[in-house]
Amino acid sequence: MNSFFLFQGMGLFALVLLCLYRGAFGPGVLNRIAGICAIGTKTLVVLLLMGFIYDRVEMFVDISMVYAFLNFIGTITAAKYLERKGELP
Amino acid sequence: MTRATDDIIIRTVARILIPFIQLYALYVIMHGHHSPGGGFQGGVILGASFILYLLTHGLEEAKTRMSEVKATLFSSIGLLIFSGIGLLCLILGSNYLDYGELSTILKVIPAQARSLGILGVEIGVGIGVMAVMFSIFFDISTGGSIPNDGENLGERDE
Repeated sequence: MNSFFLFQGMGLFALVLLCLYRGAFGPGVLNRIAGICAIGTKTLVVLLLMGFIYDRVEMFVDISMVYAFLNFIGTITAAKYLERKGELP
Repeated sequence: MTRATDDIIIRTVARILIPFIQLYALYVIMHGHHSPGGGFQGGVILGASFILYLLTHGLEEAKTRMSEVKATLFSSIGLLIFSGIGLLCLILGSNYLDYGELSTILKVIPAQARSLGILGVEIGVGIGVMAVMFSIFFDISTGGSIPNDGENLGERDE
């Protein structure tokens, strides 16, 4: 069962690389923000899979919840900064 | 950055989510000695919830919940709790932050006194870190000077 979670995590890591490409070279800032936010979501799931591999799910659930909160707040902050910039004359 | 957002989705999600973030921060502070986390991490999450409130509801509404004066007061209170427990151990005739000596005034065995002492220190650290996080964000987002009326906020951005 451990190898199943391991390969699942590796597949998600490959998807993280795709999102990282969108975050680095994406046309426009909004695509970059969406790419970084998707990376955060995938990292959350990878953390949970690591918890399953190490048999300490209760510890990794705490960490991934904090990661989700901070990712949410960071995305809102970046979006709000752009909203402010867009209104300038 | 400090203006209230017009989007009802963000306002509603933030209003629903902030109590749960704060409850989770209290959980992280309370369970710091047998799970990941502790005073600093819980304080950062607690401060992040206030930062989310300031981002979504604007500076004027956030100042009614947590003003700069209150943030300074809370940071001082947190430091007072932390250093007060340490100095209490020092006064009772032990090392600084050696909680075993607290058993004489808490009327419990030294192991329980150590557990309660580290809990008190983590509560102090959590309060202090929360207030300092919020204060730093407050200062940065207002450009260092806190306006009295908030009317000229839009002109500060270049």
